[in-house]
Amino acid sequence: MAILQLFYRLILRPLTRERLRTALTILAVSLGVAAVLAIELAGRAAAGSFRSSLDTLTGKSNLEVTSAGGIPPEVFGRLAAAPYPLKLHARMEDYGVIAAQVRRTVPIIGVDMISEGGFEPAGNAAQPLSQLNAGDSVWLTSGLGYKRGDRVHVLINDTASDFTVQGVLDNQAGNQAEDALLMDLALASRVLRRGGRLDRILIETPATRPIGEWEVLLRHYLPAGVAIARQGAGSEQNQRMLEAFRWNLSVLSYVSLAVGAFLIYNTISVSVVRRRFEIGILRAVGTLRGAILAAVLGEAGFLGLLGGVAGIVLGRILSEGAVKLVASTVESLYFSSRPAPISLTWETALWGIVIGVGVSLASALGPAWEASRVTPVEAMARGRREHQVRLHRWRSAAVAILLAVVAWIASRQDAVHGKPVYGYLCALLLLAAAALLIPALVSGLAEITAGLIRRVLGVEALLATRGLVGSLRRTSVLVGALSTAIAVLTAVGIMVGSFRETVLVWMDDVLQADLFLSPAVPAGADRHPTLSADLATTLSQLPQVAAVDQLRAYELSYQGLPTAIGGIDARVRGSRRRQSFLSGAPAERVFRELIGNDAVIVSEPFANKHRIHAGDLLKLDLGGKSGSFRVLDIFYDYSGERGLILMDRGTLLRYLPSAEPSNIAVYLKPGAAVDQAQRAIERVIAGRRVTVVRNRTLRRQAIQVFDRTFAITYVLEALAVFVAVTGVGGALLALLLDRRREFGLLRFLGAADRQVRRIILFEAGLLGVLANVVGVVLGFILSLLLIHVINKQSFGWTIQFHWPVTVLLAALFTVYAATVLSALYPARIAIGLVPIEVIHEE
Amino acid sequence: MGVLRLDRVSKDYVTQGSSVPALRDVSLEFQPGEFVALVGRSGCGKSTLLNLAGAMDFPTSGTVWLDDVSTSKLNDAALTRVRRDKVGFIFQSFQLLPTLSVIENVELPLMLAGRKGSRALASERLRWVEMEAFAARMPFQLSGGQMQRVAIARALANSPSILLADEPTGNLDTATSQVILALLRRSADEFRTTVLMATHSLEAIGRADIVVSLHDGRVESVNPAEKIVAQG
Repeated sequence: MAILQLFYRLILRPLTRERLRTALTILAVSLGVAAVLAIELAGRAAAGSFRSSLDTLTGKSNLEVTSAGGIPPEVFGRLAAAPYPLKLHARMEDYGVIAAQVRRTVPIIGVDMISEGGFEPAGNAAQPLSQLNAGDSVWLTSGLGYKRGDRVHVLINDTASDFTVQGVLDNQAGNQAEDALLMDLALASRVLRRGGRLDRILIETPATRPIGEWEVLLRHYLPAGVAIARQGAGSEQNQRMLEAFRWNLSVLSYVSLAVGAFLIYNTISVSVVRRRFEIGILRAVGTLRGAILAAVLGEAGFLGLLGGVAGIVLGRILSEGAVKLVASTVESLYFSSRPAPISLTWETALWGIVIGVGVSLASALGPAWEASRVTPVEAMARGRREHQVRLHRWRSAAVAILLAVVAWIASRQDAVHGKPVYGYLCALLLLAAAALLIPALVSGLAEITAGLIRRVLGVEALLATRGLVGSLRRTSVLVGALSTAIAVLTAVGIMVGSFRETVLVWMDDVLQADLFLSPAVPAGADRHPTLSADLATTLSQLPQVAAVDQLRAYELSYQGLPTAIGGIDARVRGSRRRQSFLSGAPAERVFRELIGNDAVIVSEPFANKHRIHAGDLLKLDLGGKSGSFRVLDIFYDYSGERGLILMDRGTLLRYLPSAEPSNIAVYLKPGAAVDQAQRAIERVIAGRRVTVVRNRTLRRQAIQVFDRTFAITYVLEALAVFVAVTGVGGALLALLLDRRREFGLLRFLGAADRQVRRIILFEAGLLGVLANVVGVVLGFILSLLLIHVINKQSFGWTIQFHWPVTVLLAALFTVYAATVLSALYPARIAIGLVPIEVIHEE
Repeated sequence: MGVLRLDRVSKDYVTQGSSVPALRDVSLEFQPGEFVALVGRSGCGKSTLLNLAGAMDFPTSGTVWLDDVSTSKLNDAALTRVRRDKVGFIFQSFQLLPTLSVIENVELPLMLAGRKGSRALASERLRWVEMEAFAARMPFQLSGGQMQRVAIARALANSPSILLADEPTGNLDTATSQVILALLRRSADEFRTTVLMATHSLEAIGRADIVVSLHDGRVESVNPAEKIVAQG
């Protein structure tokens, strides 16, 4: 009890006296915790709903059979004829748009209604078999708002069709992600253009053997090119693919927490410095070093606990916005997903508290240790401690150089299980090195520029500079916090800006066609709706059209990771596109080699992910056949992170005979008017649901997707900067309160209000300049790391370096202005100090 | 008319809702070059009187005249100008800025006032207190006596009309105190600066021309210093 009383009197009570500064510190921690939790919650929600409605309907199935491009219909018969009591469920799966008041994209699932016995909610009478596979019958989940007997207008591929709602299925979760449209296989085969091919066969095996044995046993009944795996393997593959994305996002979310750590360090340091005298007395009257250590750590833990609790609440609120941004990226780059409800579990909440308290304790270890070493005599002088920091600055600089060397070595290491662990270690070491260099930098710069500052900017600037150098340790921590945020802002800004520029240049090369046609149903990274097979031929006969390039894409699993394979008109591409290859080979030659050969070209992300090189042989299972394809070259591609394998359309048709293209690029004859051509095409596609976009529009849409994808990174950066700037305001206030005697004295010496204000604003300005200089230099180095190491190891893209000058300057100016403005309140406090009182305190 | 005149000055402080008188109906007048010692028990109002004389505070009633200007009628900016131009302060605990060198500390009031040639003037003042050799040192590298000499140089930098010293020898040994008191005496004699010094020290009183004795915020007596010293 006595310890608690002491803790209250010595630690908590002083905190309540400086409510604003305490609140700002807690806010910094809480924002850091909130960023981490928001990204965790959003990432889980965005990824967790993957095909949930499809999986809901798998019942007790434990194995699934799949094949790229569809399973030949005879495979179902083979499995059905196997001498085992298996329950088989055939599935065709795709997406369609329910065109009601609100357009909703929902999964369409084709099932064998007769064998499944229909789907009915509890309480409804069983339906006669004749209705189950009636011509246009569909079943909808209750969340879609239809009732039995309604007509529903659905857009599938490039065709709109009307169906009769035969039944409504309970969607007990009330979750949009669970909504789906079901129809009989026969109808699905027709409207989904499957030609009888199935997307999945789900198998319920008896419990007489372990699942692994069933898997091996049943594999013998499948032809080459058809795979069997445990049910849910596809989801697991997707989750695995998403790991790198989520991991990188999580790391970015920890930046705010790292900035918060600087500020906790600063707060605790200030507490220790201020209470050195008290600590000296406590030591003199017999308090053990351990008790002092515990008291200071207790203060940090207390701030961390409050920050953690506030962070949980804030994180839950922020996750609502974050989930939209993350889900949009997942949808664009990875797979079809509708965000699941955000669920804040006890474990997640506990994690928030753990990181809040943990980071606070870790940040406070240094000051707490220092406090516990205080001797009563030493406790009397603050100047000595600051002097020590000045004396140690070159030692710190030497350690910084050592850390930078270790960072360089770390940057040369390979990824660990696809994660750029060493890349991030390198970034962490660089941040630490920069923080250690700051004292030498601040004092060095101050010494070099002292005369100039005094002459050019006057006495206020001189006093501000000296004030910062005089409180070198705290100044360094502040510059460290702010420069960390600026470095990340700069690094991510350069990386995203470079990536954007690279994508723009790439689009210039590959988007050479004048018009692009695709089904009106929205495509996704894993959705490849098709156009009518005859469309390309019809278009090529138009007088304005010079050439037509068709792409047919399919989903494919390669080495346990989902990707896409496509068939292209290699002849057209070779003559029309300026496709760049890693080897530097001319596009025309590479595309010519594709024609008539079992050969492919692969995208750079695919090659990096699977360590593929030109000349390698790829063994691919396509539509129930296996084939070996020689990799001719690797092409630069920024359309997706999952990777892409391309072969000539003729070659693909030998394996997968479906002639419907996923999209068509139309090249016009020289001099042909685009408007006129577009109108001619629109006449051709009249009655079909096809979208025609011009080259310029497609580029704009693509860059919009790009910007949306990186929106979350901007939010996280802004959060880190906000934490830093808030912290700087609070820390300046602390610095001011600690030096109030100096400000009081200045008033005695004739300093006017405006001069005192200018001193504080100069200090903030100098902090901002130093932080900007350190942050930009460090950010530049980090951007190289992001572009050449972390991005390469996580996603596999080659990004050309580019300075996004305007964006960076605007961002840096905003941060600088915010830093200076954050000093206005401390300046007001300084002006309001009563000189007689503060001098009298001494 | 004197350089500093207090006319029926009273000062009350409000503490926790109740008014505590610090000075009551004090009327005093000091001439250029006078060295005045303010004596009395702790809490008798010495520091309050110095603060009012230095335009650091306003009287509750009465008027403080500094070079014929009433401080009560000045706004904050004008008061600041008065302090810069007419007043120098010396404190018991020296109050040098630890982040500035010795010469920069002396130069500071000149720079705050925007004076040209501040470095040369500061050097001259340092020479006057025989601290020129220490100009580049930092305050923590000086002894207490040296710091107080620098503080005197700083207080005299602007050639003030009055020098206010709040127990300037309170933290110093006897020998060092003599040096500081000699400097204060010299500043009154050479620069015609009126020195107003709050002190408990008999040696300090011995250097003064006039001794003002305060008791419970009232002026108890005003006497030539010789008389007080003679009385012991």
